[in-house]
Amino acid sequence: MAEPDTIAAVGTPPGPSALAVVRLSGVDAFSIVSLLCPGLPENPEPRKAYLTRARDPSSGEGLDRVLVTFFPRPDSYTGEDMAEVSSHGGWLSPNLVLEGCLRAGARRAVEGEFTRRAYLNGKMDLLQVEAVLDLIEGRSRALHETAVHQLERGLSERIGGLREGIVSLEALLVHHLDFPEEDDPPIPLERIRGKASELAEAMDVLLRTAPEGELLRDGALTVLAGRPNSGKSSLFNALIGEERAIVTEIPGTTRDALEATVSLGGYPFRLVDTAGLRETDERVERIGVEVARRYLSGADLILFCVEDNRTLTREEEDFLAGVRETPVLVARTKADLTPDGLEGSKASDGEVRVSVVTGEGLDDLRRSVADVVFSGLVSLGGEVPVLTRRRHTEGIDQAKRELEGFQNALDQGLPAEVAATHLRPAETALEELLGVIPREEILDRLFSEFCIGK
Amino acid sequence: MKSRYDVVVIGGGHAGTEAAAASARLGCETLLLTPDLARLGQMSCNPAIGGVAKGVVAREVDALGGAMGRATDSARIHFRMLNRSKGPAVWGPRAQCDRGLYPRGVRQVLDELGKLDLFQELVTDLRIGGEGDFEVVTRGDLRFSAQAVVVTTGTFLRGKIHVGGGGGISGGRAGEAPSVELAEALEEAGLEAARFKTGTPPRIDGRTVDFQKVKVQEGHGEDFRFSLYTREAIPEQRSCWVTWTGEGLRTVVKENLERSALYGGEISGRGPRYCPSIEDKIVRFPDSPRHQVFLEPEGLETQELYVNGLSTSLPADVQLDFLRTIPGLEEVVMTKVGYAIEYDYFPPHQLSRSLEVKQIPGLFFAGQINGTTGYEEAAGQGVMAGANAALRAQGRDPFVLDRDQAYIGVLIDDLVTKGVDEPYRLFTSRAEFRLLLRQDNAGRRLGPVAKEVGLLTDQQEEALQNRLNQEDGIRVWFSETALAPAAVNPLLEEAEAGPIKEPVRARELLKRPGVHASALAKAGEAPFCTEELEDALTAVEVEVKYAGYVTRESDRASRLREQAGFILPPGLPFMEFITLSYEAREKLDRIQPGTLAQAGRIPGVSPADLQNLMMEVRRWRGKVGAEEESAEEE
Repeated sequence: MAEPDTIAAVGTPPGPSALAVVRLSGVDAFSIVSLLCPGLPENPEPRKAYLTRARDPSSGEGLDRVLVTFFPRPDSYTGEDMAEVSSHGGWLSPNLVLEGCLRAGARRAVEGEFTRRAYLNGKMDLLQVEAVLDLIEGRSRALHETAVHQLERGLSERIGGLREGIVSLEALLVHHLDFPEEDDPPIPLERIRGKASELAEAMDVLLRTAPEGELLRDGALTVLAGRPNSGKSSLFNALIGEERAIVTEIPGTTRDALEATVSLGGYPFRLVDTAGLRETDERVERIGVEVARRYLSGADLILFCVEDNRTLTREEEDFLAGVRETPVLVARTKADLTPDGLEGSKASDGEVRVSVVTGEGLDDLRRSVADVVFSGLVSLGGEVPVLTRRRHTEGIDQAKRELEGFQNALDQGLPAEVAATHLRPAETALEELLGVIPREEILDRLFSEFCIGK
Repeated sequence: MKSRYDVVVIGGGHAGTEAAAASARLGCETLLLTPDLARLGQMSCNPAIGGVAKGVVAREVDALGGAMGRATDSARIHFRMLNRSKGPAVWGPRAQCDRGLYPRGVRQVLDELGKLDLFQELVTDLRIGGEGDFEVVTRGDLRFSAQAVVVTTGTFLRGKIHVGGGGGISGGRAGEAPSVELAEALEEAGLEAARFKTGTPPRIDGRTVDFQKVKVQEGHGEDFRFSLYTREAIPEQRSCWVTWTGEGLRTVVKENLERSALYGGEISGRGPRYCPSIEDKIVRFPDSPRHQVFLEPEGLETQELYVNGLSTSLPADVQLDFLRTIPGLEEVVMTKVGYAIEYDYFPPHQLSRSLEVKQIPGLFFAGQINGTTGYEEAAGQGVMAGANAALRAQGRDPFVLDRDQAYIGVLIDDLVTKGVDEPYRLFTSRAEFRLLLRQDNAGRRLGPVAKEVGLLTDQQEEALQNRLNQEDGIRVWFSETALAPAAVNPLLEEAEAGPIKEPVRARELLKRPGVHASALAKAGEAPFCTEELEDALTAVEVEVKYAGYVTRESDRASRLREQAGFILPPGLPFMEFITLSYEAREKLDRIQPGTLAQAGRIPGVSPADLQNLMMEVRRWRGKVGAEEESAEEE
């Protein structure tokens, strides 16, 4: 009893492809694959690929020519014995191999089970688990970089360092409280205060990455707004690179909002094309306008489209005045239609002239959009680990509030041991981030986000 | 003296006397065996009880009905409240005691108890028949049978004393024989032993000290008492003195280092980091220009002084040389040499939280045999081991204190869960709930629990009730009494707390920084004796002044208690849980924790192990449940 069973899953997406990988993890991983591939040597070398034939373990029927690699514990992804079987891709081969494994005694893995095992076997902490998830799902270069850094324990180390800082604060206090009659004079309260401020500042540095960091995962909600026929849908299509929106010459053709996730300048954006902003009596059109307003209220960026060859109308000025809370980038559209080109342009500084017909200005626009939304991260240049999830922000924020409570208590002249009641909760908040204190809800939520094979 | 007892206690130190007394208070026929009845509750090292955290333990022992508080009050000749300049939550009462009066005080408490026999003889063998069937054999072949046995042999198990190099002399304390046969008997029973060392400094003749050259340290008043239940008269009070070592001592120690048993390589056991020998201090802190030396009186009727801070294993001639380099001690005469002692202890992971040896039900260990140091730590374990031995003999459930209930709870949980790698001493930092575990509320925390178990005598129960009533009265007085400006403005001014114009309730005034409960009570002519109830007033002050923090702390404690509720059923096959690391499996199997929270405190058990353990237990429960069901079907 108590043997964790051996799990198997196809680790690559279904459908036609050159290769597919079935992976197994658990005590019987080797013996199951040996049943499936009788041609393997009795004691295969670790991490060496063997070209062999896979057969159905019951009927002996040939399934595919496969490449098998073994990863003995503990130096495997999950920390258990693992095997990977590369077969040809497509609808059939990988599934036949998987079913062969199941018949030989493996169990079909549930979502996230491989990574869950890796976490449980101490191969990674929770932050690394999240990084794996971001790597699998990430669509932008920036998130990918952040996730790789996180997987390499960049964020873990930073948070571990904060936790140690709290512990060392406790140690300073302990000297103060537990050894009142020693040779060394008591540690000046100023030193304790200084240490606390340093820690609070370090937490702030991380927290400042959070607003943009969280956008790295979800994409920055960018709403294309503008008068009907101001070129929103054409620009939308040009940015996403496919004819997703219907583009016509008739004002008000886009009835509802269209959404697409796209990487601009290496950063992820959720582009939304909305119906024109003009108030209208036409019922269907009005739905679109309401949708637009709803999107606008949650937007991280408004990409406001105005034809390059005209000045802004009252209506447009009013609109821009009404959304002052949200960053706005003005795109001067249809730049190719401006007589005399740059001379005739009505664009002001900071506005980007674009033409979807000539492609002029599109690269500028992509860069500008990334600069406006992710300016903080761009300027950090990867020096600071980035908080990409609410959970991170909440955990560090919690720790910081406790630390502030500690500082306030000291400032109010409360005794050190009273102030110190804030330190353990601060430590706990950070430990939960790393997953040092297991909280099942966190795990369940996290692991349910995984696709099967990881 | 009978030949059959419910409980036999081996050893008469701080653990042994408390264990025997606790067992007797619970109504068990109890026998205490010790090689020397004149040394019951002997203070073999520093003649002081209490300190930071340790003082709280002394009060906890008292609240549980123990002898330590009363004996200290009746023997104290100098008292200080350590950490007085800090918050009341970390105040540490400490008393220098008369080395002769203290054991007399202990003996008096024991003599008041019925059901307790004392007998002087060295125990040579312990025979284990079966559960609840022990035979204790002494020198001269006297035999006593018992249902439960408490072993509290201190540093006597294979004790070896070192004064300078030369291999050491066998002994349990200076001038006393070690217990070798008993150590062998315990090892034969399958218990694992290990070795520690500790040390003690030389004593000097006070008449040869030049008191002009040392600094006097006066005590802190006479109102304080350790004991809640019996108010003893305290003896005449004495001063202590402080002086400092300098360059001269450093030279002497350095020149003779190879003659030290510690540095000559003769001592293999590990000593406490927080109580280093003078050799250690000089070697490890070469940049410290000086080290404090406290001169502490050994008693009222002796001129002997204890030289605190100079524990050593250097030879006698070197000790005298270095003593004479110290200001004030230039002409000093040494009366006893300092020495280091090595002794056996039994690594305490072999015990359950009731201090019972896991593999031998009915056998309990308490005190230094478990790898602790300190009289208070020993006494705390003694009460608990004695109580649990009695409860075992009576067939009742064990009595266990939790970490948020008492320092004693922290101590025992640390011992059995984490084990020890140096002699264990309590610090406030070992407690998660420092604000809750205070010296001023020991009675309220533990009195009622002790009463429920049956650990209090009738007189103690009555005193407890009176005391709790008085404390309630104080709380009511503070909430209901409005104090007039004329009465309190002087004290408010002194505290720079701003005067009042209308009468204000005492409780509100107490919230102001610098305003103290006892001062308010006096100013308001409160109907209770502020001197005798000083600590009750402190308790009210903490509760009012730091109300938010105390509540937060108790909330956190109860949340942890909930989490700790994940029970690990007995008999879990830890070694079979192969999803856990091998190290974790081994540790869990060795320690057999009762809850997930306890498992989490074991060093070497990672969070991932805990998570796996939770899943394994669920799976195991499911499997066991299914087996039971199918068995029923059959």
